[in-house]
Amino acid sequence: MSRKNLYNVGALLAGLGVTFKYMFKRKPTIQYPSRKKKHAPRFHGLHELRRYGDGKERCIGCELCSSVCPANAITVIGAENSPADRRSPGERYAARYEIDELRCIFCGMCEEACPTDAIVLTPRFEMSDYRRGSFIYSKDRLLVPPEAGTGLAPDDRPNGIPSDLGRVAEIKSTVSTDEGYDATWRGTILKTQTKGLAE
Amino acid sequence: MIDQQLVTVTIDGTPVRVPKGTWLVEAAKQIKREIPVYCYHRKMGPAGLCRICLVEIEGMPKLQIACNTAVTDGMVVHTQSDKAADGRRAVLELYLVNHPLDCPICDKGGECDLQDYAMAYGQGYSRSVDPKVSKPKAVDLGPTIVLDEERCVVCQRCVRFDDMIVGERELVLKDRGVRNIIATANGEPYRHNFTGNVTELCPVGALTSKTYRFKSRPWDLRRTTTTCTQCPVGCQMHVDVRVGVVQRTMSLEDDDAISDGWLCDRGRYNVGFYDDPARVTQPMYKRDGGWVQIGWDDALDIWAAAIREACAVNPASVGVVGGGRLTNEEAFLLQHLFRAKGVANLDWRAGSQRQASPGRNGGTLVDLESCDAIVLIGESPAERAPVMDLRVRKAALQKGAKVIRIASAERPYPAPIPSTDVATVAEAIKKLPKDPKRIAIVWDGCDADFATSLLEKLPAGAQVLTYITGEQANARGAEAMGMLPFSEPGYGKAESGLDAAQMFAAARDGKLAVLSIFGANPAMYRADFARASFTAVSDLFMTETAQLADLVLPAKGPFEKTGTTTNMAGDVLPVNAAHSLETPADALSDLEMVVALAEKLGVELPVAEEVDAAVLRHLAKAPEDFTLGDARFGTSVILSPSKDPERRRKAHVEGIAFNVVVQTRVFGGGGTSAHDARIAELCPLPEAAFSPEDAAELGVNTGDYIDLVLDSVSDVVQAHHDNVGHDLLVEVRNGMPRGTIALIGGLPDSPASNLAGARVSVTNIRRAPEDAAEAIGAPA
Repeated sequence: MSRKNLYNVGALLAGLGVTFKYMFKRKPTIQYPSRKKKHAPRFHGLHELRRYGDGKERCIGCELCSSVCPANAITVIGAENSPADRRSPGERYAARYEIDELRCIFCGMCEEACPTDAIVLTPRFEMSDYRRGSFIYSKDRLLVPPEAGTGLAPDDRPNGIPSDLGRVAEIKSTVSTDEGYDATWRGTILKTQTKGLAE
Repeated sequence: MIDQQLVTVTIDGTPVRVPKGTWLVEAAKQIKREIPVYCYHRKMGPAGLCRICLVEIEGMPKLQIACNTAVTDGMVVHTQSDKAADGRRAVLELYLVNHPLDCPICDKGGECDLQDYAMAYGQGYSRSVDPKVSKPKAVDLGPTIVLDEERCVVCQRCVRFDDMIVGERELVLKDRGVRNIIATANGEPYRHNFTGNVTELCPVGALTSKTYRFKSRPWDLRRTTTTCTQCPVGCQMHVDVRVGVVQRTMSLEDDDAISDGWLCDRGRYNVGFYDDPARVTQPMYKRDGGWVQIGWDDALDIWAAAIREACAVNPASVGVVGGGRLTNEEAFLLQHLFRAKGVANLDWRAGSQRQASPGRNGGTLVDLESCDAIVLIGESPAERAPVMDLRVRKAALQKGAKVIRIASAERPYPAPIPSTDVATVAEAIKKLPKDPKRIAIVWDGCDADFATSLLEKLPAGAQVLTYITGEQANARGAEAMGMLPFSEPGYGKAESGLDAAQMFAAARDGKLAVLSIFGANPAMYRADFARASFTAVSDLFMTETAQLADLVLPAKGPFEKTGTTTNMAGDVLPVNAAHSLETPADALSDLEMVVALAEKLGVELPVAEEVDAAVLRHLAKAPEDFTLGDARFGTSVILSPSKDPERRRKAHVEGIAFNVVVQTRVFGGGGTSAHDARIAELCPLPEAAFSPEDAAELGVNTGDYIDLVLDSVSDVVQAHHDNVGHDLLVEVRNGMPRGTIALIGGLPDSPASNLAGARVSVTNIRRAPEDAAEAIGAPA
């Protein structure tokens, strides 16, 4: 064994040193899916269609979201409310509302264009499925159920709303708050990673 | 027009030479300078109400309205100056004071003149601090139109359309000031044949079509320009399709030659049948009395085998009926195929119409406006060719033409124009204006007696223009393409075959082996229809004829195929398949069917270029040797009372037997209107009209309900015609001849169409419920 090899032992120890250092550091890995990361306040995930307090749909089927959509992912077909079956305030409601989530680029333009704040992007991102067809979300999956505590204006809903989520209605979304988003802030992780890369 | 004085006007620095008296707004259009307008419309002229077209004219102290200012020589106009822009901005601000900002739910959003002008000329914000005046939304004006009172800008285009173009004057302006609003006179439902046009005229979203409400937004629609094939006028129209369904149809404003920019409600609204669940989607074959679905290959084999066998025995035992609803190309290939097999029994005349080409005197639709007198014979164009009726109205209302009707069993002319009813040709001649320069004869193509004798007796020196309205859109094209037993394409003489009546007679005698029917429903419209030993029908629906057939083939409708059609004036018009319209996968156009059948029969058809050239060549030729009521066309089907006592039935009530007169209504046709839920409300109720004397004798009044029984009919009437009519609404009509009963033909639940000439008697009279009448009139 030459001197050169002894130097290599030093390098080996140095390398293992890094390993042991990180062994005792706080781990960024979380136990997904039992724990989930908290998202950035304006994270753009799965859409949902909201309701007013009296249970009426906010969406009036105006198709502004579908016309502004850069990915052409939204299809809306309007219809007229009948006095017997009033779905939304006013005359018009969306008889069909479909979003192709495979096509969607989650830019949030639909949210911007919506004149009634009906469509919002929730932090929910888990949409994987085995069939392409199941990525076409229609009203039965987009519209929040009437019992979901809907109805108040975006800023004063029951149980409060985490201010950092902005106007995204976590309490109304289909995301279960019990399962929590108590993991590390996404921002924090990003910061750590940037730091690590710099070093 | 040569002596018209031209003047030069300078608009925004560009000199334009236009005839003296041209409105400034039209002069500006010539240099592609659009001046905003609401109330002005090219077909109705200026009204000077909306004030949005303000322009600055040098030498005038104030802004002037461009729509009602005639150009003068040397006029210098600025449309884009600061002063003009200020004026427009101020007018727009006033428009928006009370206009609701519900563009997201407004059907006009995206094609709205107020939206566009507010973007182009408006200031972008409101200085008004008071709440907007709220008015009723979704006011039901009638079966077709909904009014949003808030959105109305009171430009009165719709009111003026009703007054100047249609003449019905149903829409009026009600109340004053901020409550100034469009309404129907006396609050009655807004109902005439042209209501849909007001939705296009409305510059904002105040008037909307019930059939299109909230269905789509303009930017979603795929637009195709095609020809309406509901009647022989051939109006040009836009077809707007979304998600594979026809959402709406729109007129072409610059279609001056044919539709004058308007559409009738039948053409506009009867477009919802393409996705009807009742459509035939697969070839159907009748086996052991029941229908089985078969594939196209089997269907063509069965069909071709039947034709081949019959032709081998005797080609005279094969017949073809249809062509009046097909395109020119289809009709041409159809007759080519069967003539190649030696078949001479070809006829398009599946209804009561006997002739479609007016011959050497045929006039254009525009010519109709400049006639001094218009003589109407038979069914009026108001019910058979509504947009042509608008020309008649224009001639009568705006140019003072005299409208004369000969021996019509109809109610008074169904348009509010002065018309004279006469009983005989001699009287009609007497009523003609003095020294007429141009006389138009409008005939329905059925009973020729009046038409031929009128032609003989008309004063010499007058130019005579003849028109034939009819039942089938491309009847004239079918005649030119040789779908007649005595004429080849281009009206050449052919080896004479059997016409439709003779074919059905032969079928009754068992002498017709194979009968192929293309896009026609003779069982509905002809009492003498009889099926042959083997009958094949190509149609969109299981029609009355299809139910009697052995083989039913799923056809494509007019928006689903491409070709040309010929209108009543001989214009060759394009039929284009609508973009992205969903068609049943197994439906074939009649052209594709004929080509496939020719392949099975081993007949070589001309290639597409040859067909196109032949169609144009044959249609360019006017049928010079035809006149109205030409003897070669034979007579219409008129039933004679039965001589067979076994077929006679006892009169049930009072013993009064009535002669049936069948009348067409715009929305009364079976066929496509029976399969269009959107227009169900527009279809008339099954009604029976009597003269006042007969009604008094029977003891019935308007509003009662009656049933009918056949009293005596012709021997040729088949058993399936025995159901004559239930729950018919009685109408007592002045001017009806005694002893006749007028029924509406073609209603889905009224099999009256093929009863023309039969005798019926009345039974089971039920009075109009008196409490119902009280409930309407009685105060609460």
